This record gives sequence, C-alpha cells and structure tokens, in this order.
Amino acid sequence: MGTQNVPSPLEPIPSSVVQFAVADKLINIGRVNSFWPLTFGIACCAIEMMATGCARFDMSRFGAEVFRPSPRQSDVMIVAGTVTKKMMPGIKVLYDQMPEPKWVIALGNCAISGGPFAFEGQYSIVLGADTFLPVDIYIPGCPPRPEALLEGILQLENKVSGWNRWKDPEAKA
Amino acid sequence: MSGPIHIRPDETFTLNVGPQHPATHGVLRVKMEMDGEYIVKAETVLGYIHRMHELMGENRTYPQVLPNLSRLDYLGALGYTHGHVLAVERAAGIEVPERAEYIRAITVELNRVASHLFWFGAFVMDLGGFTPLMYAIEDREHILDMLEAVTGSRLTYCYYRFGGLYNDVDDDFIAAARAFIPRMRKSLKKYDALVTGNIIFRKRLEGIGPISAEMCRKYGATGPVARGAGLDFDVRKNEPYSVYPEFDFDVPVYHECDSLARYKVRMDEMEQSLRIIEQGLDKLPDGPIMPKKKPKLIKPPVGDYYQAVETARGSFGIRIVSDGTKNAYRFKLRSPTYSNMSLFDEACEGMMIMDALAMMGSLDLVIPEIDR
Amino acid sequence: MIKETVKQALQDLFPDPPPVVEELVAEAAAEGEEEKKPAKKKEEPRINGVIERDHAAHGYDIDVQLEPGQLLAAVMILDKTGFFLESVTGVDWIKEDQLESVYDFSRFDFDVCRVVIRTRTSRSEPKVPTISKIYPGAGWHERETHDFFGIKFEGHPHLIPLLLPEDADFHPLLKDFKP
Repeated sequence: MGTQNVPSPLEPIPSSVVQFAVADKLINIGRVNSFWPLTFGIACCAIEMMATGCARFDMSRFGAEVFRPSPRQSDVMIVAGTVTKKMMPGIKVLYDQMPEPKWVIALGNCAISGGPFAFEGQYSIVLGADTFLPVDIYIPGCPPRPEALLEGILQLENKVSGWNRWKDPEAKA
Repeated sequence: MSGPIHIRPDETFTLNVGPQHPATHGVLRVKMEMDGEYIVKAETVLGYIHRMHELMGENRTYPQVLPNLSRLDYLGALGYTHGHVLAVERAAGIEVPERAEYIRAITVELNRVASHLFWFGAFVMDLGGFTPLMYAIEDREHILDMLEAVTGSRLTYCYYRFGGLYNDVDDDFIAAARAFIPRMRKSLKKYDALVTGNIIFRKRLEGIGPISAEMCRKYGATGPVARGAGLDFDVRKNEPYSVYPEFDFDVPVYHECDSLARYKVRMDEMEQSLRIIEQGLDKLPDGPIMPKKKPKLIKPPVGDYYQAVETARGSFGIRIVSDGTKNAYRFKLRSPTYSNMSLFDEACEGMMIMDALAMMGSLDLVIPEIDR
Repeated sequence: MIKETVKQALQDLFPDPPPVVEELVAEAAAEGEEEKKPAKKKEEPRINGVIERDHAAHGYDIDVQLEPGQLLAAVMILDKTGFFLESVTGVDWIKEDQLESVYDFSRFDFDVCRVVIRTRTSRSEPKVPTISKIYPGAGWHERETHDFFGIKFEGHPHLIPLLLPEDADFHPLLKDFKP
C-alpha cells in the first residue's frame, strides 16, 4: 500500500490552518482496506457472498474476508437476499447495533427492489432494503457474480475514501 | 443417547438462536428453553424468508414460473426444476426426447455433487473446522464452471424447458465432465482422510442426534435423513422417473441413525452420482433436445397431478391442480427440508445445545425451501 | 400387492355402495385414456368413494374422497399398513363454496402405492379433525394449511401461524384474497 498512492490534498490550503485532511484521508484508506462484513446472508445471494470469500475469488486480498457474526464488530452490512416484513425489524435492530462509521451494500435484485418476488399479490416482502436502511452501494444480479460483489466493494472503497486502487480504464486521461 | 440427569424445569431460561446466526444456514429461529447446557424444549419459528412461491404459481402461466423454482433451493436448483418440468409434462402430456433426458440426468447429478460439497464444507465449519470449506468450494467451482458454460448461470439455473432443454451441451462440456470425475474421486479420498477419520469429528458426531426409522415415518422425513436411519428409500429407485432405470448405481443406507450415519450417506452419494455421470456420458444418444410437437400454450386437462423427484435433500413433490386454463389453479410444493426440520423440535429435547446444532447441520437445511 | 389390501380396507369405510357404480368404473377407464370426453365431467360434484388412478398419468394410485368424520379412520388404516405422511394441503374451490383438504401418503418400500385422501368442508365453517395424534408430522402441515386457507383443525395442540407473521389475520391462498 504506502502513501505514494495518496492523491494530492485539496489546493489551495492556507498553511496557517492545521491540516487534518491528510490524517482523515489516511484513516479512510485504512478503513476501506479492512472492511469487516457482518455475516448476514438471507438467501441465494449469501452463497455467492460465501463463494467470494473463498479461495477462487478471494475477498481477503481486499481486506474484507473477516466476517463477524456480531454486529458490534463489523462495519459493512451486506444485505444479501430478500427482505421480508417479518425479518425487517430484526435487520433494523442489527443495523442500529453496528457502531459508526457503517455502510450498507444491497446485494442482488431482491435487496434492491424486491427482485423476482415482486408480483401482484405479494404480501410478504419489503420491496428493497433502501426502504428502511440507507444503502450505499447497489449490486444488481440474480445472483450477482462474485466479481460483481468485488466491484461493489471497490466502489464502496472509492466512495468512502476517494481513493482508487487502480486507474479507471474508462476514465478520460 | 446421553441425557441430562436431573432437569429443574422451574429454573430454565429462554435462549433465542435467532434469525441471524452463523450456524442456522439462513434465517431460522429456534426458541430454546435451556437448563444450563441442556435443551428442555425447542420451538422453531419460521417465516423469515416466506416469499410465497405457491401464489406465484397461481398468478403466472406455467412457463413464467420456471425461474422461480430454482430460488427455492438454490444449492440443488436443477433437481427442483427437473421436478417441475416433469410434473407439467405429465399433466400436459408432452414427450421428451431421449438426449434431453440424458442431459437432464447428467446435469442434475452434477448439481447434486455440488450441493453435497457445499453442505460438507458448511457442516464441518459448523463443528469448528474451517479448512474443508475452502477445499470443498474450490471443487464446487469446477462444477459451476461446467454448468455455467452450458446454462448461463452459476447458481439459480433455468435450464430445462417443458419438453427438453433450450441449449445443447457441446464437446467441451463432455470433456470437462470426464476430466472432473477422477479429480473428484481423488478429492473424496482427501476428505475421507482429512475429516472422516478425525477423532474430534467422530466424537462430535457418533451417537449424536438419533433419528429412528419410525420417527422418519411419522414426520415424513426422506432423503439422507431416512437413509441414515436404515430406510432404503430413494425416489430414483422406488418410484423411477426419467432415465434413471438405465443407470446402475447403489443407494447408500446406514443403520446407526446418528449424525455420522447421515454424513456418511451423503459422502457415498457423491460417489454414486459420479458413477451416474460416467454412465450418462457414455450412453448419451444423439438427437434433438426439444420435441417436434409442443403445444404453444400449456393448458393441462382438468384434474390434479403429482410428481416426486429425489433431490439432494429428499423427496420433492409438486402437486398441480389444473382447471384447464393457462395458470395453475393450485401449485403445491412439497419440500423435503420442511418435513426433515419438523422432527427437530421433538428430537432435540434433552440434548446439549452443541449436539443439537450438530444434528441441525446434519439435516442439511436450506431455509428458503422450508418457508417457500 | 399392498395397493389391493389398502384399497379394500378403504372401501370398507363406505358401507353403502355409491348409487352409480358403473360411472366409477367407467371413470377409472377414462382416466387411462387421457379423458377424451371432458364433457362427461360437467359440473357434477364427485361422490365420496375410492377411485383407482393410473400412476403414469396422474402420479398417484388411490384417490379417496370422504367426509371429515371418516378421516381419522382412513388415516389409521394407512398408519397401520406403514405409510408415511408426505404432505397436507388445501385447495379453494370458490365456485362450489368449498374448501378441500388434501392428504398425500406414500411408502418407503418398493411396493409403490401413493394414496391421496380428500375431504371437503364449507367455506364459511371449515372444520376438519386433526391427524397430528397419529402422524406428529402433520402438526406443521396443518398449521401451514390453516395459515393459507383458514381451515381449522380441531384438536391441534398449537394452531398458530407458522409461515405468516404471528398477528396475521389474512389467508393468502383463498381466491378472493387481496393483499
């Protein structure tokens, strides 16, 4: 890792002000390189989440393979699967128990908007995790490939710290 | 069976093995009244992933329901879609060409091996050993690569159509499957050496969680749970369907009724599935994969129809009640894990909680299949 | 063959022979022919009795329709001959204003015989005796059928919602259900 990848601080900054910005940036980079997800797999997307944590796709090269069963020790809640009305209060309690700073990734179509289970006559599911949680990253797919989950984690890293691991190949210059 | 010597019912506390728990394999809640480490009474609370597949079967036409069956049990999805297409083909009277039947059997058995591999990794992880999960999932990735090249999905397949398949297998698939079989046999030997003979593993499972044959009968438990209790019941042999009569394979049955017996049944089943895949690849005939004459709109005659298939977890049944229209009138899914889990409340009374969780792991639960 | 024994034992539950025996036999033959004449069925309600079905066409062998009062006797026969309970479910026949409970039974040995028992109750007062004393596995199945259809199983030890939330007061699989 190292500090040579840190983009230059905002210009201009009066030198009379104490520069907390650089320390925040370093702390944020530390945070994003060690996201600890909460083990919260509900349905099919949970299997892809587990496959991402295993040997072939290897989430641990991004620092995120340490799944914590307890919400008190985690920073990211990956909502993987359909959220039902019966389960929703439980998820809210878990989210409230996580200490700040915390983020939410909605994995899969069901967590984004109800997925293939939103049909007329549906009485039992919540149409998307963002109806009751502040979701930061949406990963579409049914289920999304493990590479998609890794891309979502990288996007979250960028969102939290403004730092990219590598240059975006589609960006101009 | 070891039980507590003296339970003091007035000094129990309620422990909630809650919906979010690493060992429940999904969102299942078990309310346990505990006396120290011993369970006095357990009550399972379901419904946390109830998405109502049966209502979808009524509100949609027959082909529109096809993708939803995979989401029922996502680890062994091909077995469930197989049951669904067989039920509708029986109801509407559609013939399936032989090549399609063979490819269906081969892919279902590959999916069964993948499902058992995942169960194996998760089960040993429950008991505390994290390493076999990595090896098992690596083997499973090879199967998923093969199936992805043919069906397009890794997990929730929608490969079968009424009458056959939509995509034929090519030589790459056949070569990959043939190369996979000896690799898997070597892996099975490795798992035997790593896990089955391990003294801690044996002490955790031998004699734990007894489920007798009579209990299986009263609760309707099928699959490896029944075969670990001495019952020689496999729908592929007892009530044959598709091309299974053409294959020569054994049904592993163990009589000890404990968790180790259920574990051994599944490990042996993987070997038998490899035998079926080998024979299927050898006997694969040429020909079309969809029938020449297929009704444009599937409208089965009035009446009700039932089809049972053997999935990785037991006997899965679909009952279709048709009133002659293009939607089903009643679409009942009989899920094996539902019946397997219903005996947990009675079976775990008097056990220590760690033994109860080991037994729950040996039942091989997939919760969306219980809640449908 | 166990099928013959069970069929005979179940038929003994109906001491009065049904009025038109030939229709039953003809119906059984028509089942095997894939029902070329659907007009024969019309709107006549099916009479209580035992019908033998073609396994390849329908997936089960013996089809019994009976009154709720005869249910326990029929299930006892099946329990004594070693059947296992496959599932219990319901069907809402809103046009006939009836709710049907359907019980599936099957066997563990190689003597294949699938038995389906049906019983109909009125839609406004659906009461069926419970079979959970004979088959404890029916406990969950009956709770689920009560959830989805509102059929009350008398004598059930714990008839609370299983899949729906605890305070649910609706029955989703009734044909006039609006979410």
